[in-house]
Amino acid sequence: MALEVDEKNLKQGLLGLVVALVEVIQDLVERQAIRRIEGGSLDEDEIERLGKALIDLDEAIEKIKEDNDLEDVVNSVMGSLDDVAEDLLNKFLNPESWAEEVDEK
Amino acid sequence: MKEGRYIYSVVSSAVESELGDVGIGESRVYLVPCGEIAAVVHSCVAEPYVTKDEEKAKEWVLEHSYVIDLATDRFGTLIPFSFGVIFIGDDDSVRFWLEENYDLLKEELEKVRGRSEYTVQIFCDEDLIKEKIVTSDPELLKLRDEIEKMPKGTAYIYQKKLGLKVKEELIKETNRLAGEFGVYIEELVDEVKIEKKVSWIPDKYKGMMMIAAFLCLVSDGNVDALGNLLDGIDKREGFSVRFSGPWAPFSFVQLKGT
Repeated sequence: MALEVDEKNLKQGLLGLVVALVEVIQDLVERQAIRRIEGGSLDEDEIERLGKALIDLDEAIEKIKEDNDLEDVVNSVMGSLDDVAEDLLNKFLNPESWAEEVDEK
Repeated sequence: MKEGRYIYSVVSSAVESELGDVGIGESRVYLVPCGEIAAVVHSCVAEPYVTKDEEKAKEWVLEHSYVIDLATDRFGTLIPFSFGVIFIGDDDSVRFWLEENYDLLKEELEKVRGRSEYTVQIFCDEDLIKEKIVTSDPELLKLRDEIEKMPKGTAYIYQKKLGLKVKEELIKETNRLAGEFGVYIEELVDEVKIEKKVSWIPDKYKGMMMIAAFLCLVSDGNVDALGNLLDGIDKREGFSVRFSGPWAPFSFVQLKGT
């Protein structure tokens, strides 16, 4: 099948994918920060500095999204990633449904 | 070109009859009976219906659904076929297939007799439930108050922490609610399935969180009671229910092995 490539679409799609992945990493970093704080390994100044750095990262991502009109693309990538993750988890947690799916095919 | 029969549904009827030129592309739709059941078909060439024109495709699918609705009105609940199923051969080939699968088809028709499929989707106002979660948990409430007094960077991290906790509780709470509603609904329906992939929701519900989506096979006599139950849920603060149907029982007939 021939692919019809629209340059603007391609740029948006690719950038959207990259930003979505950065958001996934951002989420992991934030969770890690919370874990460090709960573990007591950071003092007040360090927590504040870390928090400010995370705010900067968040603002930078938001700006890229806004400037390039990426909100919808990123949401759709995130949605698809959620579906993939859920599907995978389901298959591991519930192997019977996997077998059924294979049977149906 | 090989001869074919496009099939819309299998109905309970023992006699030959016609529905008129109501099929796809105004085809003449008629019944091919076998014993007490019949296939609703139109005659065509054995080539799949394919088009690149989206409008045309929509029109075909609507025409397909229209015949299913018409046949339901006339013969009661039927076994619906998805768009695009074509038998290779003539009426005799269809009759042969009906004969081969007679017991299974009869059984399925019996199962759906006097019943229809309905979809039930339950939505809630995510913010409202989150607020309830925070205000009913002293620890979360305390954290929220403390965040207000923290310096900016620290507040950001603790806000994330609060958000994660609330989200965790939100999932627990909505699962609990979905289970609770599911139990009530189960009492009023013959069969219930979880709708795994919800493809489309009206704008009215966008921005709300879907906490449950069920496909239900409901006896005609129980539809009002189910409607009342769902009305009750819909009236709860922060909840909204989408109840749609009756549909042909696409999700409840098994034609595996035919």
